[in-house]
Amino acid sequence: MSSGYKPDILWSPHHADRYVICDTELSLYRIGPAGSSETKAGALPLSEETAATLLAINSDTPYMKCVAWYPKQEPECLLAVGQANGRVVLTSLGQSHNSKCKELVGKEFVPKHARQCNTLAWNPVDSNWLAAGLDKHRADFSVLIWDISSKFSPEAVPAEKVRLSGDVDSGLVVTKPLYELGQNDACLSLCWLPRDHQKLLLAGMHRNLAIFDLRNTSQKTFVNTKAIQGVTVDPHFQDRVASFFEGQVAIWDLRKFEKPVFTLTEQPKPLTKVAWCPTRMGLLATLTRDSNIIRLYDMQHTPMPFGDEVEPTIIERSVQPCSESIISSFAWHPSAQNRMVVVSPNRVMNDFTVFERISLAWSSTTALMWACGRHLYECTEDAGQGVAAAEKDIATKMRERAQSHYGHDTVQVWRNHVLAGGDDPQLRSLWYTLHFMKQYTENVEQKQQSNKQSLIYSGIKNIVKSSSGTTETRRCWSGSDRQTDVPWYHSEERSLALQLCGWISRGPDIDVEPFLKSLEQEGEWERAAAVALFNLDIRRAIQILNKGASAEKGDLNLNVVAMALSGYTDEKNSLWREMCSSLRLQLKKPYLCVMFAFLTSEPGAYDAVLYESRVAVRDRVAFACMFLNDAQLPRYIDKLANEMKEAGNLEGILLTGLTKDGVDLMESYVDQTGDVQTASFCMLKGSPGEVLKDPRVQCWIENYRNLLDAWRFWHKRAEFDIHRSKLDSSSKPLAQVFVSCNFCGKSISYSCSAMPHQGRGFSQYGVSGSPTKSKVTSCPGCRKPLPRCALCLMNMGTPVSSCPGTGKADEKADLTRDKKLAQFNNWFTWCHNCRHGGHAGHMLSWFRDHSECPVSACTCKCMQLDTTGNLVPSDSV
Amino acid sequence: MDLHILDHKLRVTSISKTGLQQYTHPLIKLIFLRNRTRCKFFSLTETPENYTVVLDEEGFKELQPSEHLQVEGSTWLPLNVVSNGNTSSSSQAVGVTKIAKSVIAPLAEQHVSVFMLSTYQTDFILVREKDLSVVVETLVEEFNIFREEGGESVPVHSQDACNGLQRNGREVPHATVHPVLIPENQFCVMSLDPDTLPAIATTLIDVLFYSNSPKEGASVDQDMKCIKFFSFSLIDGYVSLVMDTEAQRQFPADLLFTSSSGELWRMARIGGQPLGFDECGIVAQISQPLADSDISAYYISTFSFDHALVPEEDIVSVTEMLQAQRKDMSC
Repeated sequence: MSSGYKPDILWSPHHADRYVICDTELSLYRIGPAGSSETKAGALPLSEETAATLLAINSDTPYMKCVAWYPKQEPECLLAVGQANGRVVLTSLGQSHNSKCKELVGKEFVPKHARQCNTLAWNPVDSNWLAAGLDKHRADFSVLIWDISSKFSPEAVPAEKVRLSGDVDSGLVVTKPLYELGQNDACLSLCWLPRDHQKLLLAGMHRNLAIFDLRNTSQKTFVNTKAIQGVTVDPHFQDRVASFFEGQVAIWDLRKFEKPVFTLTEQPKPLTKVAWCPTRMGLLATLTRDSNIIRLYDMQHTPMPFGDEVEPTIIERSVQPCSESIISSFAWHPSAQNRMVVVSPNRVMNDFTVFERISLAWSSTTALMWACGRHLYECTEDAGQGVAAAEKDIATKMRERAQSHYGHDTVQVWRNHVLAGGDDPQLRSLWYTLHFMKQYTENVEQKQQSNKQSLIYSGIKNIVKSSSGTTETRRCWSGSDRQTDVPWYHSEERSLALQLCGWISRGPDIDVEPFLKSLEQEGEWERAAAVALFNLDIRRAIQILNKGASAEKGDLNLNVVAMALSGYTDEKNSLWREMCSSLRLQLKKPYLCVMFAFLTSEPGAYDAVLYESRVAVRDRVAFACMFLNDAQLPRYIDKLANEMKEAGNLEGILLTGLTKDGVDLMESYVDQTGDVQTASFCMLKGSPGEVLKDPRVQCWIENYRNLLDAWRFWHKRAEFDIHRSKLDSSSKPLAQVFVSCNFCGKSISYSCSAMPHQGRGFSQYGVSGSPTKSKVTSCPGCRKPLPRCALCLMNMGTPVSSCPGTGKADEKADLTRDKKLAQFNNWFTWCHNCRHGGHAGHMLSWFRDHSECPVSACTCKCMQLDTTGNLVPSDSV
Repeated sequence: MDLHILDHKLRVTSISKTGLQQYTHPLIKLIFLRNRTRCKFFSLTETPENYTVVLDEEGFKELQPSEHLQVEGSTWLPLNVVSNGNTSSSSQAVGVTKIAKSVIAPLAEQHVSVFMLSTYQTDFILVREKDLSVVVETLVEEFNIFREEGGESVPVHSQDACNGLQRNGREVPHATVHPVLIPENQFCVMSLDPDTLPAIATTLIDVLFYSNSPKEGASVDQDMKCIKFFSFSLIDGYVSLVMDTEAQRQFPADLLFTSSSGELWRMARIGGQPLGFDECGIVAQISQPLADSDISAYYISTFSFDHALVPEEDIVSVTEMLQAQRKDMSC
């Protein structure tokens, strides 16, 4: 316990605010809140909140080696002190004249042969019993158990032999112990076992731990070990004991006492104290010599008893209660959670609470939960109506989108952004891009013009790079014969880019009128006006703005803008120009702003348009394709693409396409949003050869599938797999289940596929369908009949008899999905335990109400054996 | 019962009284400066003839060879008997007596020479390293034998130790009975908290090194009344002291540990001529009859003679017994 003159510390077992520091003397302190009326001047601050007041000092007992506090309530401050000569003295601190205590204080227990007392322990139940562990003597016992209530026993020491102890007459000296244990050995540490208060665990010099039962001291269990210091029982787990040797702590299970359950990592310096936390399960604190760190070992998740070979997991932490000072000793507070007081060699004390480790868990939906100490916190998303959709957690968004079949519209690809909620401009841009790409490839197919097809998915960045034969023209303002001085560029690739931007529907003519119409329909007046203006149709732009102003909920300010626009003049020094270029910056609407920027810019210097980030990327790119020359254009596109990549902006997919660049961009998008769903669906559209093989893409896809599984969206998962295998044939799963014939052992499905003329095969479970409706009631290999369904007793291969109400005629009229379901009902299914089974549909309906096998006399609880059978998918088919 | 072969390799040496000055420095270092040396086993016994020093190899390095230093050639290993079970506390006999029958007699029969060293804490039986196989073979029936290596107790089986029983070839006459000297001083066996060693340093130095100065020329006669005998040992951090009551009075009473009954001991010194190290059965000769009469004993071998300490009240019967034994042998 204590060593030399370094102070040790002991909490009162019953008064949560008192402790004793012992070095050469005993000092009793009371701990209280700092600055309260209770703490007077002279109180020692222990922490920001607490301070200690010295109540009493006792220096009656010199040569102290160890101290133990009486465990019972009364008398409250009775201490046993073990001395260097082996005597044990009862003493007290700050006592009022308590009669019971008075009788005991000063009582001495003297061993036959003097030697150092190493350790003391009060029996937790029979509190009159005090065990003292002593150094060895050739002819004496090392563990003496004293009864503190026993009186002086004169027969123990013949009076004429007493030479050295002169105070026998006082009646306070006891020389006859109740029990003597452990001959020829030293006892370095001991403790009573709380499970059975008659049992005592001793640790001796001869490298053993021994358990003695006082009812029969000749019986003992012991084990050889080096770890014989500081034995201490876990107060929360009474079979768990810690002991140490030099820098190593061994943890024992008393039920398997042959060897330590495990040892903790060895410390370079010898340990001085090891103590279980009394308020927290499985937390062990250790202190080494000359250290300012207390190491904590958290064993709470360790299952007990341990398997033989399993190394338990222990979380190791260290705390530094006082920053620079070395710790001499520490003591856990008996009741306050994780609290301890530490004392330094020069008696500076510190009140300290070990902060509880926080463990945290995400649910696959949005909830987050963490535990700290005895508190459990749950953090869930505010599901209230007030929450804007954009602020929702990505998990919630993905769930909702999965339920609305987001990503599955392969015909009108742009509609996917509507399925996603329609409120995310990035997704909108992405799906329109993919839509235009698809549209173009389809058109190209019609035209049998495949040279651009490969290029289309590689993005505008690569398209403009391949550009050649650009023609520069000077176009007139439409509706006016005045020639502009604006150079205007045109090439096949540029018109392709414009198609991808959605400005024109097919090349090579530049006709934006359909696009303007659709914008007008959607009420995007400013954007439509800007596009018209960029096509040098100022009159159309004014017309659009007028329309916008007069439309329902229209903005009357648009008329004002139209007016301003109509005053356009290309004179360089006009007042109009001057005012426009300065006032345009105050316009809130970005498209209006870029319109005036365009009109007031010098030809070829359109930065105000090109770098207006509030304008959609596709419009800026389209603008650039029209007004930037061959030198400027690739530079601008590259710059913009890099910006998009860095920002993870999906609008950039227009530029990068579904190339490696696109994957980089998507990576940064996923890093920011976690939206593996969009990433998976988007990348599946890309060329299977390159992009899909990228490990990042595979990772997104797998994670999305796992996510769907975690949400129990199994049908969605299956739909996704089907969708995926359509786009990426390499991802088709191999057949996992084969049905083989009972007689010939050949696979039924194999035989089917081996006969192509039959034109059917149920090669794959769930993917490409099911056994056909035609009757295959016998094995195609040996022609023997297939087994019968346990419920309908028909041979397998026979279609399931229709349920009442749905006749065959109705079935034909059913939708495809219902048909597929009906086909699954025909599928084989059987219990892996009893091997009974039949039509899947029959089995499903049987086990809806039963847990036992449908075969009479079979008592197999098939359904209970199926661990996933009771899980219900949380999505609908 | 367990027998532990301790992890110390010991040398037995003797420093002549005249050469003492040459060795006071290493001796003081070994006694008082525990942190400065790696010596774990140190015993110093002063007899009228010389100083016997038993120490491990780390300590032995401190002693410079000279004409005043005699070294016994062998390496000795200390054995320690642990009553691992539970010897009932009925028998009051302690020390050598307890192990006389189980260890000392069998070893004597196998002609294994032993060197005894009793301390306050325990009894060490030193045997030569080369005899170890014979020792193990002899005692393996009676004891669980462990060899301590680097802090671990490793069980030893006889097969590990030797292939067969090899008796020590020398035929030693069993009958030699040595003269016994019984001085009149009373001895006490004591211990001390090693932390308080500095507190008695001056007294200890005085008693150990300057004892001869007042009484010059104490002869080693048969008819001498009192003999000078003082033993100090520091073994594995434990201090043990054997001194006569006269020396004890010089020490502060509250620092030395002893039994609460304050028992005193008398000494029987065995041997008229220096005994040497090869003769076997000397300890057995003394311990056997003591064990028969259930008399406790300490036994300290030195370079020249053996010393048995018996309780004061038993000295008369012990004297008679030894004389009777002598008579039996001589006729």
